[in-house]
Amino acid sequence: MKTDASGPDLAKSTPDSAAGRAPWQGLRAVIDGIFDEERFFLILSVFIGVFAGLAVVCFRLAIDWTHLALLGPLPQTHGWRLFVVPCLAGLVVAVLVMQVFPGIRGSGVNQTKAALYIFNGYIPFRTAVGKFICAAIAIGAGHSLGPEDPSLQIGASLASALGRQLRLSREKLRLMAPVGAAAGLAAAFNAPISAVLFVIEEVIGRWSAGILGSVVLSAVSSVVIVRWFLGGEPLFRIPVTAFRRPEELIAYAVLGIVGGVAAVVFAKAIGYLRPRLKALPRWTQYLQPGIAGLLIGMIAYFGAPQVMGAGYSAMDEAMHGQYTWKVLAVLAGLKILATTISFVSGAPGGMFAPALFVGAMLGGAVGGVEHRFFPHLAGSNGTYALVGMGVLFAGFLRAPMTSVFMVLEVSGNYEIIVPVIVANTVSYVVSRSLQFIPIFDLLTRQDGLVLPSLEEEREETILRVEDAMLPAPAIILTASDYVDAAVRRIQGSGQAIFPVRMQPSGWSSISRDLVERLLKEGKGEYTLGSLLPTQNLPCLYPDLPLDTALRYVNKVPFVPVVNRANSQELEGIVSSESVFKKYHSEAGNGSPQVA
Amino acid sequence: MQWTPAKLVPRSAPAVLGVLLLLAIVSFAAVGHLVNRFNANQQARGRRFYAQGLADVSAGNLSAAVEDFRAALTYDPTNSQYQLSLGRVLRDTGRLDEAEAYLLAVWERTPQGGPINLALGRVAARRGSLDDALRYYHNAIYGVWGSDADANRRRARIELIEFLLQKRDWSEAQSELVALAASLPPDPALHLQAAAFFAQAQDYRNALSEYEQVIRIDHSNSAALAGAGEAAYRLGRFRSASRNLQSAVNGNPQDSKSRQLLQSASLILQTDPFVRRISDAERNRRITAAFFKAGDRLKSCAQVKGTGLGEPATDAAASPSQSPLTTLAARWSAMKPDLRRLRSQGESDLPDAVLDLVLQIEQETAAECGQPEGVDLALLLISRNREVADQ
Repeated sequence: MKTDASGPDLAKSTPDSAAGRAPWQGLRAVIDGIFDEERFFLILSVFIGVFAGLAVVCFRLAIDWTHLALLGPLPQTHGWRLFVVPCLAGLVVAVLVMQVFPGIRGSGVNQTKAALYIFNGYIPFRTAVGKFICAAIAIGAGHSLGPEDPSLQIGASLASALGRQLRLSREKLRLMAPVGAAAGLAAAFNAPISAVLFVIEEVIGRWSAGILGSVVLSAVSSVVIVRWFLGGEPLFRIPVTAFRRPEELIAYAVLGIVGGVAAVVFAKAIGYLRPRLKALPRWTQYLQPGIAGLLIGMIAYFGAPQVMGAGYSAMDEAMHGQYTWKVLAVLAGLKILATTISFVSGAPGGMFAPALFVGAMLGGAVGGVEHRFFPHLAGSNGTYALVGMGVLFAGFLRAPMTSVFMVLEVSGNYEIIVPVIVANTVSYVVSRSLQFIPIFDLLTRQDGLVLPSLEEEREETILRVEDAMLPAPAIILTASDYVDAAVRRIQGSGQAIFPVRMQPSGWSSISRDLVERLLKEGKGEYTLGSLLPTQNLPCLYPDLPLDTALRYVNKVPFVPVVNRANSQELEGIVSSESVFKKYHSEAGNGSPQVA
Repeated sequence: MQWTPAKLVPRSAPAVLGVLLLLAIVSFAAVGHLVNRFNANQQARGRRFYAQGLADVSAGNLSAAVEDFRAALTYDPTNSQYQLSLGRVLRDTGRLDEAEAYLLAVWERTPQGGPINLALGRVAARRGSLDDALRYYHNAIYGVWGSDADANRRRARIELIEFLLQKRDWSEAQSELVALAASLPPDPALHLQAAAFFAQAQDYRNALSEYEQVIRIDHSNSAALAGAGEAAYRLGRFRSASRNLQSAVNGNPQDSKSRQLLQSASLILQTDPFVRRISDAERNRRITAAFFKAGDRLKSCAQVKGTGLGEPATDAAASPSQSPLTTLAARWSAMKPDLRRLRSQGESDLPDAVLDLVLQIEQETAAECGQPEGVDLALLLISRNREVADQ
């Protein structure tokens, strides 16, 4: 197993002399040999999942306990506490964030991503502790934030701490944070597939087979732990849903448009207010969460207690037709307002649950309106609310794949996959066209960080080998050609180097000078194949990224580009000159990739 | 806390994993203990609110009960009993959508459960949704009940019957009633209830049968006697009706409805010329009386309607423009001289012809001038139940 220079080798046994080796030491060597680095990391992922799951269980209990202790069981009976509790909790959280746990503001997704790309996987353990305490107080006291993003960061922080204690290699240590993040998120959502997809879409930013296994294992093990302790009940009761008629897709597309616009409003509000509040004098940051709590308390007191906290019970009620479409629309608007206030004030908490809340309310409202005016088109309001959750997820968090799988995973109903895909895609497209930068990227840029984004990568123009490919040379020799025949063929040609098709496969090259020298040395009756070195030229395929060519073009005069179906068919060649020329021209065009 | 990795981290992977396993087991046990304590605490609070909710229900304070049951559910969100109770109270306060949402959550977990299907059936009944009510009530009838299954199933069926009767869906109600009657224990109260339902569903034959079962068990049951009398009366079995109604009135002199029906039945029996065991002279007297009574009824009805009966065409095949009353008056006048021949032994068809005309007049005047009273009503009922009147 690879380790840092200072770290112990965990996988290999210490070599002993044969004379002094006891039988048990031999057995130990065999056991140690089983645990190579990859296997060890996979097993470690399971433990990360277990610890993250346990932490999330405690986190959820803490939120519930705080909520019931501070606000009581029913929002209707809170009275004066609606004002006082979120305000005081905000003040307490502000002191903790400013004095004890700096760096736990916000959701935690970006911090985890920054740990992966900037800090070599390092997330302080105190971040987990601080996030746990402060988010539990803020969410439990009614701030309009969700527990999922903090769970993600708690998982990542625990994993990072574990990795450091085990002195893993830097490469593995970097991966610990996303593995822990997946576990934390999966435990919070009770949905392992969505968590894995989200971590790949938003945290890691690229598909990597190397880490996928670990992420899946940690997510699954954390979900098992959560279900063991808290049961397999979904976060809300799923209504009976069905996709009845294809015409309804029009209605779902409308929902996608509305959701996309709402997502943009939501993101722009946060993007506008957050830097301005952060720019205020430092002492005001002690008050901002308290004022936010007061405002949210006012919203709750004057008729909308549903906006407090994560709001899963209100989502549940929306999905079961307990609100009219007007109430649902108002709740969606108030939740955007309350979450924006809470989030920009610096209170630690996530945006997943609020996004789901807004989506569910908007979905129900749109469903209600459509049901009213086009009763033959619309399904149940519950179905619209369920689809609406994914719509906001896709539009606001810009995680289209996660959004689809999340709805399917949460509902356990694949009948609505077509409406979900349609609505989410429309929402994503609308949101992207109105606001190019996704919310998480916007937040990191506001914090002065530039982190990679899978969305940007998806949209990048990728240079491929075919873009820098030169036409195949006019003269192509083969391994069975005799040297004297080859000399005759190349006479009159302007080429300096000729590709040679080797038998039974592969390519080589020979220069004009070498062929002529071989003839002078009296080797005219030898075949080229018998004289050329057995080491073939590396070959490329036209569709490979151009970066791949960089590994070879400086070592050989040219690299053959061959057909994938027939490697003996030369489609062209790339040389260092052609590759750099292409990169140079792209840089002149201002390609994002090169920039 | 500053850890010293060199001391805490063992040098080999199995040892590391062993330590992690140990740590996981300890953490698992600790979190398990914490969760159990938390849940126990929450459940205790939930039980307190639930008990308070039940007390509110008993006191008739349903809105407070809703709040208490909601609070109980906040502490114990998956408790089916709390959800069921909250759903029931919400239903009783008319918040049917909310009620249904809670009840459906329970139903999804125990779709075969009798109580939850009964509760959902009641919601559907409150909504007036026939299909849903039938589905849930049938689920309740054939579902699983924890205790006293027969009584609960019977109660569910009775509620379904009441709903169907309210919806005036007689055929469905009669089907359910037949099933109910077949499974009733020998309890007079239950048979009496079933008989009343049969009567309400206009199935007087089965109603009479159920009442007679009650009477066989309890000869002096006034309600059963009154019901049997009325059922027999509706079936046109006036002698049986008279007998039962007489017993009912004897048992309960305040039963004015039975007394009225008894008078009507007695009048019918005294008026009907077709009853058995009367002499020819008496039969002829009754026919003659009925004939003149019908004539009076015809005249009074014609006056009310403003129809002139004078100088009618004597031809039976009167012109089509004549009113039915005029035609009947003409026939009545034409038949009047023949009454003297009733005493003659050879005129065996005449009584039937006279009585046919009488009953036609009664039916036509009832259609034109409304329900008659007294002897006219008796004659009308005789016309409707001519074959069974003497039973």
